[in-house]
Amino acid sequence: MNNLSMLKIVFIMLSVLMLASAGNSNADKQPNIETESFWIVLPPEVARHTAGYGIIKNTGEASDTLLKITSNAGAVMLHKTEIQSGKARMTHIPNIVIEAHSELVLKPMSFHLMFSDLSPVIFIDGSKATLFLEFEQSGIIKINILIRPNW
Amino acid sequence: MLNKLATLAFISLFSCSSFIVTAEQTLPVLSGVGGDFSAMDTNGEAVEFNHYAGKVVVLAFGYTNCADICPFTLGYLKRLYGGLSANEQQKTRIIFVTIDPEYDTPGHLKSFIGHFNKDFVGLSGSQEQIDYIVSLYQAEYNRLSVLNIPTQNIRRVNPKLFADDEQAKEDNASLYSHTVTLYLIDKQGLTRSLEYTGTPVEQFIKKIQQLINE
Repeated sequence: MNNLSMLKIVFIMLSVLMLASAGNSNADKQPNIETESFWIVLPPEVARHTAGYGIIKNTGEASDTLLKITSNAGAVMLHKTEIQSGKARMTHIPNIVIEAHSELVLKPMSFHLMFSDLSPVIFIDGSKATLFLEFEQSGIIKINILIRPNW
Repeated sequence: MLNKLATLAFISLFSCSSFIVTAEQTLPVLSGVGGDFSAMDTNGEAVEFNHYAGKVVVLAFGYTNCADICPFTLGYLKRLYGGLSANEQQKTRIIFVTIDPEYDTPGHLKSFIGHFNKDFVGLSGSQEQIDYIVSLYQAEYNRLSVLNIPTQNIRRVNPKLFADDEQAKEDNASLYSHTVTLYLIDKQGLTRSLEYTGTPVEQFIKKIQQLINE
């Protein structure tokens, strides 16, 4: 084997190593989901629905998709209120992508959790409900949320 | 001569600036928005809007099956009302008009509104009465199912087993889109300002106080 052939082999091996390294680098990119400031509005006793708010942050390097939300407080879905010409309109968001280094802010008159079939046992001022956020990549994230009046 | 001109100019300027300040501070009458109407209060008694003459009124539309906007609005109105003195509260009425009178019966409305403040006034009535009030205030509402939005998907994720027909009927309550404007109405029943929950409470309170003192 002459020197030129040796060089070719070394070059090919280096290229393969570099490609493998790049591949691993992409595979290492993961989402990192964090939640903060979550709370649920204490509804009037006769109410059949209420809302929850908070922030879902993705501090990771890859996007993730929120697929499903469940809670012991009742049935819960992600909704979005939109104000158009002074009129509020609500839409159901079946799932939502949270990009890397971005956040989903749930607040009044915007994205929010809509609770129905409320559990009377859970909805007491100062009590806590459990929320399960199911993500495509991150799996199920469990958080405990304070229930309090909205004033 | 020059002194006289300078004096006149000063007086004119002062008068103009006073006028501008006054004009800025006076809330205009929004003609064509609002008026007298009949409804039913939370005790089931017929009531005319003229009954509230002499009070400054903040009027909102909504319904009790609303999860986000209406409770948020009533929480905002609670903070607003709480920012008034006891004397100012006596001269002010916070009125919540339901757009879903079929579901929001007077008793139900009373319980819902009372969660926020016992002083708040809930108004219901026949659908015709509600539609008339909505038209008076150039407001709007739509049943979401009318807009071809599948409310069964909005309302729940899991099917519910109903114990009886009564419960099943109850669950058919509708969801609506509706106007979120807060109407500030003076002691003569004239609409003077259109506000939103985005209005800083302190700013809104000043407007109420201004109308109280007119």
